[in-house]
Amino acid sequence: MTVTEARTPGEIQEKTAGTGRRRLGNWLAFGVLLLAAIIWLIPLAWAIDTALKTEADTTTVPVTWIPASGFTFESFTQVLAAGNLLRWYFNSALTSSAITIIVVLLASLAAFGLSRVPFRGRSVVFWVILAGLMVPPQVLIVPLFTEMDFFRLVDTYPGIILPQIASPLAVFIFKQFFDGLPHELEDAARVDGASRLRIYWQIWMPLSRPVIAAVAIFTFVLSWNNFILPFIMVTNTEMMTIPVGLATVQSSYGVRYADIMASAVLGGLPLIIVFLFFQRQIVQGIANTGLKS
Amino acid sequence: MYGAATALGGMALASCSGGPFGGSRETVHFWNLFGGGDGARLADMESDYVESHPGIDLKATTLTWGAPYYTKLSMSTVGGRPPDVAVMHLTRLPAYAPAGLLEPLDPDVLSEYGIGPDRFLPEIWEAGKYDGEVYAIPLDTHPQVMYYNTDICKKAGLLDSDGNLKPLVGREELIDAFQKTKEITKEQGISFAPADSVIPWRLFYSFYGQLGGEVLSPDADEVVLDQEKAEEALAFLVELTVDKEFTPSNQDYAAAVAQFQSGNAGFHWNGEWEVTTFLDAKMPFSMAEFPNVFGNKRVQADRHTFVIPKGIASDHKAFQAALQFVSSMLESSLIWAEGGHIPAYRSVLESSKYKNLKPQSNYAGVADKVVLDPKAWFSGSGSDMEVQVSVPMQQAMAGGLDTKEAVKQIRAALQELVDTPKPF
Amino acid sequence: MAARAETAQQKKVDTGRRTDLTGYLFVLPFLIAYGLFLVWPVILGLRMSFFDWSLVGTGTRDFLGLANFRELFGDPDFWASLWHTILFTLLSTPPLVLLALGLALLANRAVPARWFFRLAFFAPYVLPVSTVALIWVWLYQPGFGLINSYLVSLGLPEVDWLAGENVAMISVVIATVWWTIGFNFVLYLAGLQEIPEELYEAAALDGAGAYQQTRFITIPLLSRTTFLIVVLQILASLFVFDQIYIMNTSGGLNYTATRPIIQYVYEQGFTQYRVGLAAAMSYVFFVLILVFNIVQFVLTRRRRREA
Repeated sequence: MTVTEARTPGEIQEKTAGTGRRRLGNWLAFGVLLLAAIIWLIPLAWAIDTALKTEADTTTVPVTWIPASGFTFESFTQVLAAGNLLRWYFNSALTSSAITIIVVLLASLAAFGLSRVPFRGRSVVFWVILAGLMVPPQVLIVPLFTEMDFFRLVDTYPGIILPQIASPLAVFIFKQFFDGLPHELEDAARVDGASRLRIYWQIWMPLSRPVIAAVAIFTFVLSWNNFILPFIMVTNTEMMTIPVGLATVQSSYGVRYADIMASAVLGGLPLIIVFLFFQRQIVQGIANTGLKS
Repeated sequence: MYGAATALGGMALASCSGGPFGGSRETVHFWNLFGGGDGARLADMESDYVESHPGIDLKATTLTWGAPYYTKLSMSTVGGRPPDVAVMHLTRLPAYAPAGLLEPLDPDVLSEYGIGPDRFLPEIWEAGKYDGEVYAIPLDTHPQVMYYNTDICKKAGLLDSDGNLKPLVGREELIDAFQKTKEITKEQGISFAPADSVIPWRLFYSFYGQLGGEVLSPDADEVVLDQEKAEEALAFLVELTVDKEFTPSNQDYAAAVAQFQSGNAGFHWNGEWEVTTFLDAKMPFSMAEFPNVFGNKRVQADRHTFVIPKGIASDHKAFQAALQFVSSMLESSLIWAEGGHIPAYRSVLESSKYKNLKPQSNYAGVADKVVLDPKAWFSGSGSDMEVQVSVPMQQAMAGGLDTKEAVKQIRAALQELVDTPKPF
Repeated sequence: MAARAETAQQKKVDTGRRTDLTGYLFVLPFLIAYGLFLVWPVILGLRMSFFDWSLVGTGTRDFLGLANFRELFGDPDFWASLWHTILFTLLSTPPLVLLALGLALLANRAVPARWFFRLAFFAPYVLPVSTVALIWVWLYQPGFGLINSYLVSLGLPEVDWLAGENVAMISVVIATVWWTIGFNFVLYLAGLQEIPEELYEAAALDGAGAYQQTRFITIPLLSRTTFLIVVLQILASLFVFDQIYIMNTSGGLNYTATRPIIQYVYEQGFTQYRVGLAAAMSYVFFVLILVFNIVQFVLTRRRRREA
C-alpha cells in the first residue's frame, strides 16, 4: 500500500473526460487546501518568529511579525547554554532507540513463534497477547509507579524504557505479515537443517524490512513523544526526556516568551528534521501501522 | 536478549553514577519553585555560593510553582533519588514531615553551620518544627501587604508630611480612603483579584484572623470555623466589591497587578513579592502593612524554608554540602529581601542595610504577627484547600451568593477535607 | 518392525515436544515483558484499590474493602473530571474525523504540490506535546496573543481562551485538532489509495461528476477506514491528559472546566499521596474503556460478517 504513488481520481477524470469544469474543481480544491495549509503552518511560524525576537518585542499590541528591533538568535543561544536541553535530547534519543530495538526484537520473535512454530496452545497465547490491546497504559500509571519504585527504578533509564517495551500491537502487526509469507522458503531451510532461530534471523528478518521499518518508526515516534510515562517515572531533571523537561522545568527568569518559544521550537526540531528527511517512510509507516490496528 | 539485558544493566549503572555528563566532583542538587524576579535573585544568591565554594558544583532546578513542584518533590523522595536540598513553604510541612519525607535536623549540627536556633527570631524558628523535631530552616516570611500609589494618595490627602501613608485603622477609615482614591482614578479604589483561585482565601483569612477566628482544631481533625466571624470577614470583602465597587469582581491576578501599575487604582492588595514588578515599572508607589480592620492586627502569610529530603543525611558529604549551601543562601538573603520578602536570618533582618531598604522593610514588623494556613496535610500554599474554599468566596464577592450560604459552603469544603483519610 | 515403529512414534512425540518448547521459547521474552509491565500492573492496581494505600508507604496496612469505590462514586470532582474527558471526546472526535476526511478528499485530487500539504498537515503530529501546549498557550494569550490581537484588529472582542469557563475546553480541542489531525489525514489518504481506479473510470464513463463519485463511491468504500479512524480517535481522546495537564499547570488554562479523569487520578495518587484511591479511579475508568472496546469489537465483527 503506497500513499502517494497511485494515480488519483482527479487525474483519471482528466484523462477520461478532461472537461474544464473538472480542472476548475481541482484548482478550487487547491485553493482550499492552500488556505488550510497556511492556517496550519501559522502557529509554527509564529512560534519561530517569537523565538527570533527580543523579549521586549514579544508583547507588542497589536502583534507584528517583523519586530522593531530586528531578529536575533539570542533566545536560542540562551536556551541552549542555560538549560538542560542537550541532556534531554540525549535522554530522548537513548530511551526511544532502546524501546524501539527491544519492541522490534520481542515482538518479531513472539510473532515468529506464533506464526511459524505450530506449538500447542499458541492460539491461547495469541489471544492473551491480543487482550493486552485493551489495556491502555494511561490507566496503569499508579501501579506502574508503585512497581518501578519497588524495583528502585524510578529516575533511571530502565524506569523509562521497561514500561514501554510490551507492545501487543507490534506482535499483531508482525504476525499478520509473517502469516502472509510463503512457506516454501522456510521448508527449504529446514530441510537443510537450519534451526528455527537461524531461520528467524537469517531469512525472516531480512524479508521483513518493510514491516520492521513501519513498526520501528511508529514505536520511535510514539516513545519519543510519550509524555505520561516518563513524566511519572522521572523527577530528576537530568533524567527527563524532551517532552517532560519542557513541561516541568522553568527558566528561573520568569515568563520570557521568546525563550519559551525558542525551547519549544528546539524541542520539536529533532523529529521535524527526521520527518523532513524520511517523510514518505514515516507517513507510510504510520499509515500501515494505524490501518492494521 | 542477552545483549539487550546487558545494555539495560549498563544504563542502570550509568544513571546511578550521574550519567554520561556527570563528573566526580561533589554536586549539590537544589530544587526550588521560583520564577520571575525571585528566580533572578535566587540565581544571584546561588552565584555567591558557587564563588565561595569552588570545589562544589551546584545544580539548581526550578520546577513549575505549586502542586506540580510539590508532587515531584514527594515522588522523587519516595523513589529514592531526591535533591539534596529543596525549598518548601512552611505550610506544606504537615504534608511532608509526618509522611517521613524529610530529614529531621539536629539543632547542634545546624549551629555548626551558623544556622542554629539563635540565628532566628524564636517564633520563626519554632514554626520550622513538627512534633518537636526541626525540619525546616526558615528563609523568609512573605505576608500580604498593602501597596499604595503615592501620587494618587497624595492628591487624596492620605499621606503624612514625610510622604508616608497615614495609618488607616478600622473599616471606616479604610473605606473612606478607597472612596477618595476612586474619585481621583475614576476607576478602582483598590485593586485586588477576587477572581483569582487563591487570593480570596488569603484576604479572607487575614480578616478572619484579625477577628481571632480559627479554622481547624490543633490536630486538624475538626472544623472549628466560627460562622459569625467568618461571615463578618467575608461581608467586608463583599462590601468592597459589590456595594462600593472598588474593584471588579471578575478581576484576575494579572489584571489586578496591571490596573495598579497603570495608575487605575490608589491601593493594591497582594503578596509583597510583586514589589519587583512595580519597581521595574518605575511607578510612584510605596508599601504598608496590611490594614488592621478588625482590631487584632493579623495578616495571612507563609514562609519559604529550606528542607533536606529523606535519605540525604545517610550520605555524609552530601548532607554537609547541603547545610553549607543553606548557610550560604541565608548569608546572602539581603538579596532575597530586595524582592519584598522579610528575611528570617537575624543578622540580615537586623542589619542597617535591610532597614534602609525601602519600601521593602516598611512592613518588617508583621513577621511574627502573621497567620499561617491551618496545620493540616491537605492545607498550605498551592494546596487544594486554598483553591476549594476560595470558590464560594469568589461567588460571594461577585454578588451571586449571600455570605451566610458562602460560609456554609466553605465549612462543607473544609469538612470534606477533614474527613478524607490521612494518607500516612 | 515393531521396535522401529515405536521409535518413529517416539520421534514424533519428541519433535512435538521440541516444537512446543521452541514455540514457547520464541514467545517467552515478550511474555515476560508483557507479564511484568502489563499484567502485573493490572493486578497490582486492582489490589491497591482495596487498600488505603498511600504513596508514602502505608501499603496494605489498612484494608478498606470497597470504601475507595464508595468514596469516588460520591465524589463530585470524580464525576466532573470524567465528564470533562467525555466532553473532550465528544468535541474533538467529529472535527478530527470530518476535517481529516475533507482534507484528504481534496488532497487526493490532481492538485499540485501534494507533498507540501502532507507536510503542512502532518508535521505538527511529530511535535512533542509540550511544544504544542506551549505554542498554543502563547497563541491564546490575552492582549498580545496572536489570535486575540487579530480578533481585536478585526473589530471583534477578545476571547478569554485559556481562563474562560466555557471556552477553555474548546481551546484545548482546537489545539488538539491542529496537533493530531495529520494522523487521521494520512490514514484517509492510505484508505483512498486502496479504492480501485476502475470504479472511478466506470463511473466517469457513466457521466458521474466529481460530487457523485465522492458521494457514491469514495465515501461508502472508505467506510471501513472511517470506522477504524473513529474508534482509534475515540480511544485516543478518552485518554487525554498531556496537553490539558501542561496547559493547566503552566499555561493558566481553566482548571475546573477542563481537568480530565487521568489528571484527577494523577493528582489523587501523586499529589495527595492516595494511590489506593487513584488506582480505584483508574479501574472504574478502565472498565468503561473495556465496555467501549467490547462494543466496538462486536460491531467490527458484525461489519466483517456483513461484508
